[in-house]
Amino acid sequence: MKRGSKLADWGNSLLFLGPTTLFFAMTVIIPFLYGIYLTLFKMDNPTDPMVFSGIYNYLNAMDDKDFWESLWLTLKFVFATVFFVNMVGFGLAYLVTSGMKIQNSLRTAYFTPNLIGGLLLGYIWQFIFVQSLPAIGGKMGIRWLELGWLGDPDMAFWALVIVTIWQTSGYMMIIFIAGLISIPKDLIEASTIDGAGPLRRLFNVTLPLMVPSFVVTVFLSLKNAFMVYDLNFALTKGGPFDSTKMVSMHVVNKAFVESNYGTGQAEAIILFVIVAVVTGFQVYSSKKMEVEA
Amino acid sequence: MGIKGFMKKSAAIGVAAALTLSLAACSGKSSNESTGSKDGKVNIIVTNAKGEIDAQFKQAAKDFMKANPEVKIEVNSTAVGDTLNVFDKLTSSGKTVTLAMFEPYAALHKYKDVGIDLSDKKWNEETDVALKNADGKVVGFPFAVEGMGLVYNQQVVEKAVGGNFDPFSINTRDKFKDLLDKIKASGVEYPVAYQTEAWSVGNHYSSLFLNQSENPTTLADQLAAGKEDLAKNDVWNGYYDTMELLASKEYNKFGDRPIGQYYDAAHVAVGKGESAILFNGNWAFDSLKALEGSKFGFMPVPVDNNADNELNNKIAAGPTQVFVINKKASKEQQEAAEKFLEWLVYDEAGQDFVVNKAQIISAFKNNPNKVTNPLGVAIGNAIEKGKTMPFTTNYINASEWSTTVGPEVQKFIAKESKRADLAKFVEENFKKQK
Repeated sequence: MKRGSKLADWGNSLLFLGPTTLFFAMTVIIPFLYGIYLTLFKMDNPTDPMVFSGIYNYLNAMDDKDFWESLWLTLKFVFATVFFVNMVGFGLAYLVTSGMKIQNSLRTAYFTPNLIGGLLLGYIWQFIFVQSLPAIGGKMGIRWLELGWLGDPDMAFWALVIVTIWQTSGYMMIIFIAGLISIPKDLIEASTIDGAGPLRRLFNVTLPLMVPSFVVTVFLSLKNAFMVYDLNFALTKGGPFDSTKMVSMHVVNKAFVESNYGTGQAEAIILFVIVAVVTGFQVYSSKKMEVEA
Repeated sequence: MGIKGFMKKSAAIGVAAALTLSLAACSGKSSNESTGSKDGKVNIIVTNAKGEIDAQFKQAAKDFMKANPEVKIEVNSTAVGDTLNVFDKLTSSGKTVTLAMFEPYAALHKYKDVGIDLSDKKWNEETDVALKNADGKVVGFPFAVEGMGLVYNQQVVEKAVGGNFDPFSINTRDKFKDLLDKIKASGVEYPVAYQTEAWSVGNHYSSLFLNQSENPTTLADQLAAGKEDLAKNDVWNGYYDTMELLASKEYNKFGDRPIGQYYDAAHVAVGKGESAILFNGNWAFDSLKALEGSKFGFMPVPVDNNADNELNNKIAAGPTQVFVINKKASKEQQEAAEKFLEWLVYDEAGQDFVVNKAQIISAFKNNPNKVTNPLGVAIGNAIEKGKTMPFTTNYINASEWSTTVGPEVQKFIAKESKRADLAKFVEENFKKQK
């Protein structure tokens, strides 16, 4: 087929990409760039007059001990959730592709928690951690269950991790299922004939071929964990005494609740850079691990 | 390329261009809506900071517009728990809010340049609690009066004391402790269900000590200037002695782990009578999920053992939301807003909305209605008897205390920090308070 003229190419691009680009620019690119611009001004509230202050907000952010503490806490949360969400998600996917009778219903069941919004989920689990589990603990005489989970810094942290696993591993499961069923059957058969047991098959054949799925799921769970806010807000509100305040919540509080709009905005940009670098590195390095079937 | 191909391509460009144009058109339209007076009507934007009465407020606006067809009111309510004030949102998007509802502290600080002088308005005759700025000028119309103290379940307490209970008879800490013991002896294992939300133990409870000075502003200013040593302040210490009693393993349902999202659980426990006492305000009534016929009231928070100390005999109550008229609104808009405020004070429908529909304690003496919820009734009675003192949360930057001082008080309750640390933190916070 003959290529059309330059103008026609433009027309095509504009037709297919124009509207998307326009909306993407309006809702993401322009606010983002404007957000960076705003960090150069000293403002307590979004309605304040803008006073140019150079890198003052960034210096403030560097000095903000609580910001770095909440970032460190978020990192711990990232490690815990990325590890468990992917492990559980892959386990579930393996389970529901193993040829069980009820596997289709199970797929639906595992995916359902993902359809419940983070806020709602937080309130439901708050009831479980504060009322249900202590009630069970009291009835059965299990000492460590008797007290509400959300009053102890460590237990509140793990409560957040548990709910995140419960919420997102079903979603990751769907991605893993897609990966698992696209593994050529002949490879599995060949390895079986060669005498590989189930474990060996999993580690030497299946997992290496699943790397592309893992690239996606690890990326998604990394990003979700860094950006967690709704669940954090609904389940613990950052408590007890700020011990579970993740970095997004710190930024929101800094900017809007404590009226340090400029500094909060600068912290948000710093957070963006950190997340961009971490996820970029993750995608780049794990792409290298992909193998051809 | 044939003529057909060309047509197709140009159509494509045309569609894209049309899309762009229509979007551009959308964005240009909205700006003149709020200021102008189309079709001869005055349009005003009113913000309502009490999200829980959103429906009633919108209905009130409709009723008002029916009586005053020349005014068109657009009500914008803050969602409960929203962090950014709806006033900020509207203002940043280029709209002019004519009548804005603020917390008193915000009206005098963050938004101090917003309002016009309301000193000569007629409704000032009917209220003692209009919000005045440092120059003595009235800047805020008191919309809602609220109070806080120790909420008690009357049945449980009366069973324990064996007969009628007068909440103002508990005017020392020892008498309070004695009451707790009596409740315990009557078969209630934990007389207190202490909910320890950051805003409650921080903004509310931890500001009470400001009432030791005649005008809470005086002490707050001293603290801001760094001239007060809280660790050596008896009243400040007294409130935390009482707090330790409330949170103790002996009396508190959650004493083994006093911090941890117990708001609902605590209220339901007191509502059902499994416990008897918690600290909160009149807005707590819905959370109590009380059985029909059960009664509740307020008693003062005891601070020491001196029965003559005013603080032991009064409940903190005052206006918690005020209306401010924006000086940036046009003359006609300001007049329309004033008309609406007058409607709230003098018109029967307005009075009915505030008290009967929205269940808000009116700040105006001429309002004949009484709220029906028992906690509101208790605050209303205390006001009538002159047994109230200023609502101290109005003298601190409440919006940020819930994320700064609140968690620090929670640390103290959980015995993760010492009282001296808390004193230091509160002092520092006052110094940098905006």
